[in-house]
Amino acid sequence: MDAQNVQTVDAPLDPALLLLLIAVPLGAAALSTLIKHRGFDRTLLLGVPLFVGASAVVLLVIHQTHPVLAHSVGGYLNGLAIPFVSDTFSALMLLVTSVAAVLCGWFLIATGEDQYRFVPALVLMMLTGVYGAILTGDLFNMFVFVEVMVLPSYALIAVTGTWRRLGVGRMFVIVNLLTSTLLLVGVGFVYATTGTVNIATLANLEELDGSAQLALAFVVVAFLIKAGAVPAHTWLVRSYPNTSAGMMGLFSALHSKVAVYAIFRIFGTIFGEPPAWAWALGVIAILSILIGSLSGMAETRIRNTLAFQMTSGIGHILIGAVMLTSVALQAGIFYTVHHIITMAGLLLVFGAVEQVYGSGLYRKLGGLAAREKATAALVVLGLFSLVGLPPTSGLWGKVGLVVGAAVPLDGGRTSALGWVLIGAIVVGSVLSLFALIRLWRAVFWGDAPTTYHPDSALTGRSPATELPVDVRIPKRLLAPGAILIGVSVLLFVVPQPLIEVTQQSAEALLQNGDYIRAVLGHD
Amino acid sequence: MILAVTVAVLITGGVYLTLQRSMVRAVFGMTMISHAANFMLLASGVSAWRGEPIDGRTDVALAADPLPQAFVLTAIVITLAVTIFMLATAVFGHDDDQYRTPETGEER
Repeated sequence: MDAQNVQTVDAPLDPALLLLLIAVPLGAAALSTLIKHRGFDRTLLLGVPLFVGASAVVLLVIHQTHPVLAHSVGGYLNGLAIPFVSDTFSALMLLVTSVAAVLCGWFLIATGEDQYRFVPALVLMMLTGVYGAILTGDLFNMFVFVEVMVLPSYALIAVTGTWRRLGVGRMFVIVNLLTSTLLLVGVGFVYATTGTVNIATLANLEELDGSAQLALAFVVVAFLIKAGAVPAHTWLVRSYPNTSAGMMGLFSALHSKVAVYAIFRIFGTIFGEPPAWAWALGVIAILSILIGSLSGMAETRIRNTLAFQMTSGIGHILIGAVMLTSVALQAGIFYTVHHIITMAGLLLVFGAVEQVYGSGLYRKLGGLAAREKATAALVVLGLFSLVGLPPTSGLWGKVGLVVGAAVPLDGGRTSALGWVLIGAIVVGSVLSLFALIRLWRAVFWGDAPTTYHPDSALTGRSPATELPVDVRIPKRLLAPGAILIGVSVLLFVVPQPLIEVTQQSAEALLQNGDYIRAVLGHD
Repeated sequence: MILAVTVAVLITGGVYLTLQRSMVRAVFGMTMISHAANFMLLASGVSAWRGEPIDGRTDVALAADPLPQAFVLTAIVITLAVTIFMLATAVFGHDDDQYRTPETGEER
């Protein structure tokens, strides 16, 4: 083993700089607690994810010629040190999570929630964990960064809540701590069976025996629970809707998608080919799609319905890991990007509705189509995107998944699992459509409410007051969600750049030679 | 063997306590489950007594595997922080969690 950092000599940028992407948000979180100044806080809240997003674009350009950048921290032996690695997949995830974080941050500023105590610092700390978990090349280090990510969210769920939300916060903490414990035990078992927790070393092993696969299955199960896949989705659909809409947008874009990233990393880089128990993941994916789409029909609150759509989305994304062909992985990654953007966009638009009209309950809303033309148009596009109808990115996402499920590993005829997955996608889309039509009818059609509860970050929700005729959702509240839904439409018109990047990501995951060489310095 | 039995006892107690309605009991339950996880981590190294893994003090062949110890140390710190936060959520708000499910705020 070469003791030196064996990056290709002509790398256009020192891989040690990758650490900046973690250090800057961490430092900003500290600064934000030390210097209490509203403008400064807001600059950090938007500037830090902008910085990381810009860096991710630079990384994406670099990865066109240098597939993997890796840095072993502390100058320890490669393979023993904790590596930080960037390839096309991680750079893409950095970019998308940053875009979502900037717009959710903007929404928090627009509603005034960023003025709650320590909210900017906690959000920045959460981002530190997200970026760290995406960049690290070590399973235990990933556990630590996932903890860094969820710890601030325990506080965020309570801080933007009323006393009522505290009860949900308790459940959220217990479920997440239990899942983290499972993750920790899984990582410990991986160490016990293989003697390493370094992803590149694990990928470089000749063969993963049964016990090592079982240990990794523990890790995968823990991440599945964190992602909110059926049958462990109920904690998510009961806790997320009870935070504010901006927070829910952040959580949905960051938390469950980091878990998805970890699952793709484990299946793509470490396994490389479907393990013998891939069918179990297939069952989870199918159940998530169907139950997630179906359950939304019984909800009576906007964001509860959307939370079930998150579960359904996780099921779709998992198809990439179930099939584990480059076509399916590409489709899964594309769907992840689409889902982050669409879900955050819809949550922010409905957040604006809740902020102005003071309720997300179906029975307290109605007739918005006549009052709020712009909002109605945005919501239609967002719901179309969730279902997978044009003119939105959802169409290409679902088309890609159907193709991915249809083409098996050997390129031959569609397997039985493939047919079932395709059936689940189609049935799930129809069920989602019904659930979302119900949402549309309740919120945008029918009679307008006579009273409303205008919301303020300072005074909270007011008691029922007469709804004046001229109350409208201000543009500044609608803007962040409008941009995200605009991106979804843009991806329908010009999907090619994203398809190319996701293809490179899928190749980077499956062809792990570059990854191993960059981290370990040898094949 | 003694480690496996200890883990089993801790998990059993932990699961029982976590399923109780009171938040304080759930916190105790989570603490026991975390302890069980720490023992599992320790068991992933060599569980027999070995020398301190300090360079220049113990022969490398006789030293214990430092990595599981580092894992456990990290895990303890994280669990301690979360436990404190959970205890805080137990005392905030209404102490009605022993009799009924806390309000979820879904009516508004």
